[in-house]
Amino acid sequence: MNAFGLAPLLLLFPAVGFILNGLFGRRFMDYDRKIGERWTGWLASGLALAAFGIAVLLYGSLATNELDQVTVNIFNWIVIPSSDFVVPWAMQIDTLSVTMMLVVTGVSSLIHIYAIGYMHGDPDFSRFFAYMNLFLFFMLVLVSANNYLMLFVGWEGVGLCSYLLIGFWFDRVDEQNKPMNANAARKAFIVNRIGDFGMILAMILLVWAFGSLTYDVVFESALDLFKEGQALNIFGQEVSIGALLTAVTGLFLLGAAGKSAQIPLYVWLPDAMAGPTPVSALIHAATMVTAGIYLIVRSNVLYEIVRASGETLVANLSINDLVALTGAATALIAGLIAFTQFDIKKVLAYSTISQLGFMIAAAGMGAYVAAIFHLITHAFFKALLFLSSGSVIHGMEHGHHQLEEDGHGDDQEEKFDPQDMRTMGGLRHKMRTTFIVYVIGALALAGIVPLAGFWSKDEILAQGLGNEGLVFITVFILLLLAAFCTAFYVGRQLKMVFFGKPRHEAANHAKESPAIMTAPLIILAVLTTLGGLLNLPFFSVGAVERVRGAQDSIQLELEEWLEHALESIELSKEVAGKVPILELPETPVTLELNVAGLSLALALLGLGLSMLVVYRRKPERAEDPDPLEKTPIWWFSVLPLNTLYMNYFVPAFNWLAHWLADKLDWEFWHDFFHDRIIRDGYIGLANFLNKRIDAAIIDDGIVNGSAKATGWLAMQLRKMQTGYVRNYALSVFLGVVVLIIYIIFLVK
Amino acid sequence: MDGFGLLSLLTFFPLVGVVIILLLKAIRRESDNLIRQIAIATSVITFVIAVVVLIQFNPDRGGLQMIDQAEWIPSLGVQYFLAVDGLAILFVMLTALVTPLAIISSWSAIQSQVKGYYIFMLLLETAMIGVFLAQDLFLFYIFWEFTLIPMYFLIGIWGGEKRVYASIKFFLYTMAGSLFMLVAILYLGLTNDTFSVPELIASRGTFAAMPVQALLFLGFAIAFAIKVPIFPFHSWLPDAHTEAPTAGSIVLAGILLKMGTYGFIRFNLPLFPEASFDFAPFIAVLAIIGIIYGAIVSFAQKDVKRLVAYSSVSHLGFVMLGIFSLNVQGIEGGILQGINHGLSTGALFFIVGILYEQRHTRLMSDFGGIWRALPVFTALTLVVVLSSMGLPGLNGFIGEFTILLGSMGADEALGSNAWIYTAFAASGVILAAIYLMWMFQRVFLGPLDKEENRRLRDINTRELVIFIAFLIFIVWIGISPSPYFQVMDASVSRLVGDLNLSVAAIP
Amino acid sequence: MPEVTIGWYIALSVALFTIGSLGVLIRRNAIIIFMSIELMLNSANLAFVAFARHLNDINGQVIVFFVITVAAAEVAVGLALIVAIFRTKHSINIDELHILKG
Repeated sequence: MNAFGLAPLLLLFPAVGFILNGLFGRRFMDYDRKIGERWTGWLASGLALAAFGIAVLLYGSLATNELDQVTVNIFNWIVIPSSDFVVPWAMQIDTLSVTMMLVVTGVSSLIHIYAIGYMHGDPDFSRFFAYMNLFLFFMLVLVSANNYLMLFVGWEGVGLCSYLLIGFWFDRVDEQNKPMNANAARKAFIVNRIGDFGMILAMILLVWAFGSLTYDVVFESALDLFKEGQALNIFGQEVSIGALLTAVTGLFLLGAAGKSAQIPLYVWLPDAMAGPTPVSALIHAATMVTAGIYLIVRSNVLYEIVRASGETLVANLSINDLVALTGAATALIAGLIAFTQFDIKKVLAYSTISQLGFMIAAAGMGAYVAAIFHLITHAFFKALLFLSSGSVIHGMEHGHHQLEEDGHGDDQEEKFDPQDMRTMGGLRHKMRTTFIVYVIGALALAGIVPLAGFWSKDEILAQGLGNEGLVFITVFILLLLAAFCTAFYVGRQLKMVFFGKPRHEAANHAKESPAIMTAPLIILAVLTTLGGLLNLPFFSVGAVERVRGAQDSIQLELEEWLEHALESIELSKEVAGKVPILELPETPVTLELNVAGLSLALALLGLGLSMLVVYRRKPERAEDPDPLEKTPIWWFSVLPLNTLYMNYFVPAFNWLAHWLADKLDWEFWHDFFHDRIIRDGYIGLANFLNKRIDAAIIDDGIVNGSAKATGWLAMQLRKMQTGYVRNYALSVFLGVVVLIIYIIFLVK
Repeated sequence: MDGFGLLSLLTFFPLVGVVIILLLKAIRRESDNLIRQIAIATSVITFVIAVVVLIQFNPDRGGLQMIDQAEWIPSLGVQYFLAVDGLAILFVMLTALVTPLAIISSWSAIQSQVKGYYIFMLLLETAMIGVFLAQDLFLFYIFWEFTLIPMYFLIGIWGGEKRVYASIKFFLYTMAGSLFMLVAILYLGLTNDTFSVPELIASRGTFAAMPVQALLFLGFAIAFAIKVPIFPFHSWLPDAHTEAPTAGSIVLAGILLKMGTYGFIRFNLPLFPEASFDFAPFIAVLAIIGIIYGAIVSFAQKDVKRLVAYSSVSHLGFVMLGIFSLNVQGIEGGILQGINHGLSTGALFFIVGILYEQRHTRLMSDFGGIWRALPVFTALTLVVVLSSMGLPGLNGFIGEFTILLGSMGADEALGSNAWIYTAFAASGVILAAIYLMWMFQRVFLGPLDKEENRRLRDINTRELVIFIAFLIFIVWIGISPSPYFQVMDASVSRLVGDLNLSVAAIP
Repeated sequence: MPEVTIGWYIALSVALFTIGSLGVLIRRNAIIIFMSIELMLNSANLAFVAFARHLNDINGQVIVFFVITVAAAEVAVGLALIVAIFRTKHSINIDELHILKG
């Protein structure tokens, strides 16, 4: 008994939701606002839940059937017969994809439900839910694909949905009357496209190297070639497998950097916060941005072959090291930038970038399970944090609304930013539930035992310390510092939002959000608390056996569960006396007490410090400067890369485009070359020929000239015409004489 | 004669409509709507005939089929010779599909001299189908040049403000290129006593010597390069596109440009394989410059139509890169991308036409935020824009990916640096997002702050039908392009086989 | 007494023709020019007759009859013309008749 045949429904449900809401949602809304909202909102949420149900069934089938992997073919997508190139639409159900499916559908169901409350009253309510379902569809395509090209469909599709949802309020403008949401959406899309550039090239390399894009085929051929130590003969030259895969994985890293907001492409994610908060929670925290990590984990065999082949980029730095360092550097820098933010969602955005850096670093260090583990726990607690911040914003807006209704609004100030933490304060009394779940999420993020974030972050840190090598230790130190930063900005945020006294009248009037919003928060808070159970380090192999006990067939341990999908882990094990093919960096199986202790101490230190530093002076005022503003940390507030791009690259491109279009193409090529030189040149030549050659020489010279010559000759000849008969007679006579002479002397 | 005249019927059927329209006054009272209906009916029936041709077509055969052949000018070796194969069939289908859509789209846009307009449209259709079916160089040249005349009048009479300038430029520019081809055709025909393409390919030895072959290649290539247009020859395109009436732009972008790429595949590659390999890097470089240049220049345009026109330069750069990869993936991708460009750019011109018809402006700064006013129109437009941008799951991606796949593996044609060509070409993916998203934002997003834009009406049924026709194919090719590859595969692999044979012969 | 041979006739004919042609070229009076033309015709007649007799060929004499007929016709037309000219110009001096001058 298995449910694999139902797998296509996983994609179908959200697709149906998108089509129904897209086609009929607006009519519903126009017909009756209230019923329309209820129907469209619950239709979308129900279908998301249905997809979650399918994911659970798939999980159950996979766990009970002792199957590593099932491929569900839908139909062939691209077939080029004569070059034997086939790309199917096919779903790969294995432990990794099912894990992702569960996370994606589970979190997104909760966020759908939350959004029914959050988006209440928005004129485009139905459009929002259509997009959300479309996003879910593409995200599931991404995680369920059995080949890179189909993954890329999901990859681009979620990018599109991200574009649409960031730009959801596309007609909002900022102070300079610029369409900020539309700009943010466009920026996200274009930056992601830079990553896609890498993805496309990587896929093309894979096709030429292995003739396929299907994961299994690619991995197996790569392993075979690696085992035999053969070089590939492609592009008319010999390429070693290590070099080829270095290029492929490097290009994948570019793709992952775009989608998962890593250095140097992280700049779009903070701007993406312009979208509605449920979108920030779902797309820009829990699911879409983790696609880069999923890609690297999915390609773990390729990365490990590169590591094993010893191929390096520069000076002993392999692509794996580059991945790990990119992640670690991003984790630290984004953590530092988060210090300097005042927007409640921007802090969380940088925090997301930072946590994604942790995951990327884990994947780069070969700790694929830890990366996925952190991905899952992060999905829980970051979704929780974003949704809670949405609840806070909702409360602040409500308070501001209240003020306006009371008549204080006009003279207070024209612009009120409900996301500015400086205007908050003391919300713990106003919004109790939100406060409690927020604290749970924040502590999980900071890595406080026993919340989910502690376990997963600890596994990543332990991987860094548990291995030899300069890269590992560097990554470890960077991540440790990042962990400290995390605790600090989280503490700062908690203090600014919930503690102290309200610094604005709106905060004073804030109100708790409705149950439809708080219920998902509570569920996520529970998940955040218990999420660590997925992969507790105490349960070493023996322990797992004991815990299973009663339900023997269900695997609790993420580590063991995921191994079925992570081929490199399988291959790194000694099987029946055979030497392992790949050698993975060592992954600790027990809790590293020193690492755990160190990180916990740093986290507590960070939290404590932040509580001391921020808003120390009483009474608190919104205008008070941040005490960190005078420290070097504030340098990060200018967002160096973003400044570089927006102030130099973008204007340079603009200039180049306008120069090419206006000067080169239009003024030079079109106007000057074609119109001046060719057209006017031709007209000039025509005029020259007309006046100088044709009129002067041909017409005047030859045609009229011959006429004139004839006339002149006639003038001369007419003189012979005397009119005197005797002259004629004489000429006749002379003619006769001539004739006679001719006859007499010349004839014969 | 295994074609039973079906291809001749397909080619000349639009003329039936022309005759009926001309006789209308004699038969019954002539009215503009009646003329429109006859034109639509004629072009739709032509499409049906094309579908019949497609059903009869055997995709497993690589060579020409459904041949219609007759002596025409025996003393010169000129034949009336129509046939179809996998290289042409999709272009024929595209013509038969896009022409009726263009004709339907001009229902309300064309209000003056209706009779002449539809006659020219139908004449154009005959000429275009003829170009794709003719297998005799002489016949081909006649059809090729004949496409210019209706287009010249379509731009010159029903065009925008600078229509006379644009139409003359279009006519002279393409005509000038064609003359080089004429010289090459005459040389080929008179030295071999035949103008039939298959026979010329069979007797390739007579002009395979190098300077001759290269010159002949260039003769054809210049004509086709101007038509495509390849990078430095693109200057007529923005003028012609911008000034042409909407349907003219649709046909121009959708089909006429494809005549250039088709010409390369049909004539240059099989007739001059060695020269094709010699010139491949050169043309590929121009194609890549076109991809990047067209995309960057598009971004700086103020006029939507001009933006779409320049985007054609970029897209056709991809097509040319694919063709001159000279391998199966590249050429099949090139053909498919030609079709894709016809659909998505045709649809984009149609979209601009709808806006222009109501607002009489094409400047992006005159729009903004019209998503609020036109939700259905905008949603459909977004799909077309994404298709043009190459979003996977829609048609444009399949073409671009296959082309890049081809160019990466084109070490025979482009040398071992093929990956550099591919990397540069792939940057077009980023640039396309930049200019298309910018256009989409300027027109559809942002605040709806102009009073005129509030009064825009959303699309009507006629426009919806056209949209759906475009979108069916955009989505179909996107999620299941296999039938399209299937139809051309035998012919393309045969062509590539011949190409490789001829190169293998060179020591 | 020398025998009158053909030479004599020819000499006379030449003399007559010369006188006639000089008369045509030199004299101004239309009547005299007319008479000179008659003289030239008759010198030709004389030559024809002489050769006819000398060669014993009747054709020469036949031609002479034709010439006499044509000369008569010519005199009739010519005198009519001269009369017409005289009526308009009151002169038959041909130097005054040069309106055909180019």
